[in-house]
Amino acid sequence: MWLWNKIKQLTIPSRTGVVTLRYPYKPRPAPAGFRGQPVWDHTKCIGCAGCASNCPARTIFLRDICQEIRILIYDSSRCTYCGRCADLCPEKAITMSENFELATDNRQDITQTIELFMMTCQRCGRCYDLEIKNALDKLQMLGYRYDSLEVRKVIGQSTPEFEPEHLEKTATYRRPEKLEKSSCGKD
Amino acid sequence: MSRKEELLNLLKDKLRGKFLAGSSLEDKRLFIDIKKEALVETASLLMKEGARYQMGVGYEAKKNGQGLAMVHTFAFDADSLLVAIRALTTEDKPEFDSLTPFIPGAGWSEREYIDLLGLHFKNHPNPKRLVLSDDWPEGIYPLRQDVPYDLMPPSAEEVAFRLDEAPPGSSIIPFGPFHACLHEPAHFAVYVDGEEIKGCEYRGFMVHRGIEKLAATELTYNEIPFVAERICGICGSVHSVNYAQAVEAASGLKIPRRAEFIRTIMLEIERLHSHLMWLGVAGHLIGFDTVFMQAWRIREKIMWLAESLTGNRKTYGMVIVGGVRRDIDLTKADLIKKTLSEVEKDMLALEKAIIKDKAIHRRTKGVGYLSREKAVEWNLVGPVARARGLDMDARRDHRYAAYDEVKFDVVVADSGDVWGTLVVRIKEIYEAIKIIHQCLGKLASELQGSPLAIEIEGPVPAGQQGLSVVEAPRGEAVHYVLTGDDNRPERWRVRAPTYPNLQAVPDMLLNNKLADFPIIVGSIDPCISCTDRVAVIDRKTAADRILSRQELEKLSREVRSKT
Amino acid sequence: MKVVAVFVNLIYFLLLAPFLEGVMRKLTAWIQSRKGPPLYQPYLDLLKLLGKENLNSGGNWAFRLAPILSFSSMLAAIALIPLTGQANILAHSSDLMTLIYFLTLSGFCLLVGALGSGNPFAAVGASREMMTTVMLEPVLAMLLILGTVRIGNFSLSAAVSGVAVSRGGSYFLMLVVYLLALQAFAARQPFDIAEAEVEILEGPYMEYSGPNYALLRYTLNLKRMFYAWLLVSCFLSFILPANFLFSLLLQTVLIIVVFVLISLIGATHPRFRIDQALKYYALLLILALIAVGLAVKGW
Ligand code: SF4
Ligand code: SF4
Repeated sequence: MWLWNKIKQLTIPSRTGVVTLRYPYKPRPAPAGFRGQPVWDHTKCIGCAGCASNCPARTIFLRDICQEIRILIYDSSRCTYCGRCADLCPEKAITMSENFELATDNRQDITQTIELFMMTCQRCGRCYDLEIKNALDKLQMLGYRYDSLEVRKVIGQSTPEFEPEHLEKTATYRRPEKLEKSSCGKD
Repeated sequence: MSRKEELLNLLKDKLRGKFLAGSSLEDKRLFIDIKKEALVETASLLMKEGARYQMGVGYEAKKNGQGLAMVHTFAFDADSLLVAIRALTTEDKPEFDSLTPFIPGAGWSEREYIDLLGLHFKNHPNPKRLVLSDDWPEGIYPLRQDVPYDLMPPSAEEVAFRLDEAPPGSSIIPFGPFHACLHEPAHFAVYVDGEEIKGCEYRGFMVHRGIEKLAATELTYNEIPFVAERICGICGSVHSVNYAQAVEAASGLKIPRRAEFIRTIMLEIERLHSHLMWLGVAGHLIGFDTVFMQAWRIREKIMWLAESLTGNRKTYGMVIVGGVRRDIDLTKADLIKKTLSEVEKDMLALEKAIIKDKAIHRRTKGVGYLSREKAVEWNLVGPVARARGLDMDARRDHRYAAYDEVKFDVVVADSGDVWGTLVVRIKEIYEAIKIIHQCLGKLASELQGSPLAIEIEGPVPAGQQGLSVVEAPRGEAVHYVLTGDDNRPERWRVRAPTYPNLQAVPDMLLNNKLADFPIIVGSIDPCISCTDRVAVIDRKTAADRILSRQELEKLSREVRSKT
Repeated sequence: MKVVAVFVNLIYFLLLAPFLEGVMRKLTAWIQSRKGPPLYQPYLDLLKLLGKENLNSGGNWAFRLAPILSFSSMLAAIALIPLTGQANILAHSSDLMTLIYFLTLSGFCLLVGALGSGNPFAAVGASREMMTTVMLEPVLAMLLILGTVRIGNFSLSAAVSGVAVSRGGSYFLMLVVYLLALQAFAARQPFDIAEAEVEILEGPYMEYSGPNYALLRYTLNLKRMFYAWLLVSCFLSFILPANFLFSLLLQTVLIIVVFVLISLIGATHPRFRIDQALKYYALLLILALIAVGLAVKGW
């Protein structure tokens, strides 16, 4: 009985063979519909900030640096590759590529920056419709949330010298407000 | 009269003036508001009626000028009924009566809100710090609305968690915060006498990410699913489906049937993955690496399948509120069928090779024994409970998604030990395969071409409660959602299956050998991240600067040579 | 010639031991449907470790010296042995007690190092190692005594060659005992209790790094090879040819076969708990005693 069990355990590989892949030398191709690193097509992007407002990881940042130029930065280091940005982009400017080998010690390697020349509406670019018609998403359609291009951070602003007696201060702590909803809201 | 009305009348009857309101949008849920004096009375009434305690939810209802609220939820498994009782207290006297003296499983739920909301629980037997880090300043309660979500007090050096005294004659072996048998940070101080375990104290909650606070202040309804699924590295769909269900229940949404079937398939694929993974880990924990490698070889096929279905190696990114994002068409269905038949064959071969192996029996039978009564007392859930003879399974007891249309068996064992858990989990693999085949059949026939997600008309109404359960591979996971303004929930509370199960671990460990510690803790398949999801900042590690590698190396050497 | 034999011993063992680990790893990998590292990987591992930094985390001499002492006493034990049945120059000044002494010393140094590290896991590992040694060394002693009883001479070569001079009941009983104990001697599953990665994180080895760790690994490799060699030259000495080179060759092949056996058993067993293992060792010890008793009777 004992021996029989052991023999069964030993013969499993005779059926399965060696399954180890020669990974770095021969990568397994990604299947269709794989969600790798999102890639922006700057010719299509209209700077509407739909992606930035709906990115659950808040890793896409937009800001107008002057009247005409709007900057979009995608910082991959916090991206979860959920593909929401690609789903919701009205111009299909984002594709989820097959690229997943993204380890690097230089953040710039995985950062994408787009400078957009903005024409008419300074706030929202053009009005757009969401692919999945969903009121929950539509609520977020207008404008974009606050961000900080310099530190590339939305989340994680802190009060470095916080102490219990400073709790009072936190009581009046205010998050930066959402930008004014602009006039071209619903389509 | 349905069971729900029966209960409602009973409570109205007994509580009289202390009963405030009872409501429910759905027929399998009951939300009751009571005066806080009646909390203990109501809870004990419900327990007498055969309820199983699930979790406590505390939140600050300041917006409505109501002070602080505490919700306790109970499950009536036989009647597919979930009951939530809510009581409010004022901010200047934030005190409730504790349920822990007669429901030990409520211990952590209450301790959590001592830390996070500054509540007091009268008669709580062990009101020690549970969630917050040891150097978190007193008097700051992260879940209060005036505390910003990104508050980061400086870390303090000298404070440390005060472990209880070791029983006389025993010494302490520290398992954690990092240990090879714990795959996530957690700390078990194990009291041993020679090689025998005499007790254990747990200090966890080291991987808090503040997800619930984030959801209440930052994220929006349809962003949360993508954060929810990352509560856990294994049960992604469990949490996103669970959250979506809670929101849908709160707002009275009815999602397309096809989406429900796709959700069911994803959940079962996740179960396959989790069970195979656990089997491997269990093998590794008893030093049987061949089982580990073989189980994970089979698991890899499931991961590749998930990759083709969702675009991610894990079952991530499929669910949104109102439906699902991607379809399972006929080609994908064929792929699933092909993979499942391979997995089934491989699994049978592996099972045959190990199930009668005496050497494995020796390491698992009688190990981590807990009686059925104890299991009930600790509100154990999932395979851990089913291995102790408790016939419970949320898929059957609280049917959700498409489980009302599929047939499957609930596997129960009665050995009450690690071996029982192993058997239950192996058998459930075949049940999961059965369920997926049934779902695929339905998708291919009746539900062809129906939509994947519904249009939601207008914003979600505020102030509604939603309660949802999903049978995760490790046991029942519960989500509670209280809808709010600003397109985000006011409160979203997650209770992962590890939360109740982990509380029973000290009992399971008692009088076992030290060598069995890994497999006993491993047998509940602890998901520390799921359990810890709630608070704001992790412990001392949350230094406000990032150490360079050299600094870190130097530091660790210095510390080491001092001790 | 007899002086050269000492060096032949050392070179033979030092060169072959890591390769045998490679065999073990490759085979284990194959049983687990993996590809596994190349056979020469253990040499690279040792080289790499030698180039790393020694962390003196124990902070005392015992901790620092233990690996080199353990390693050198293992070498001393190996220098003594009659490789192909031929006694070498050291045979004059040693007997089987010297061999057992050096083997035990090697294990003992590891214990001292483990306790010196001040790590609770290492301490648990050390206590497990100690219990194992106490139970297993007598089994080894019984084996050699069996040979001695047969030939009536305390020299090592007599003890080794004596086991198989006549193959009666005691020979077969001892063979069974040795095969059952082999896994424990080699500290492989199910008896890698003192190292148990998931419980006590490699126990005694836990705090070691760099060259010191390399020495301990090397010692373990040598120890495993020694016990495999002992099996071959005690129980199968009668099939080894007289020619030195042929004998060495055949012996090497047989040692590899023994390692195959060790890997197969190791890959198909979970680890025992120490209490289960101790019961098992006690049984072995009793059987070994019976075998010696039989030998005294002349069976
Ligand atoms: S959603 Fe598309 S169009 Fe709008 S800013 Fe993002 S990438 Fe550009
Ligand atoms: S893939 Fe997801 S996380 Fe990454 S940028 Fe797009 S929306 Fe954000």
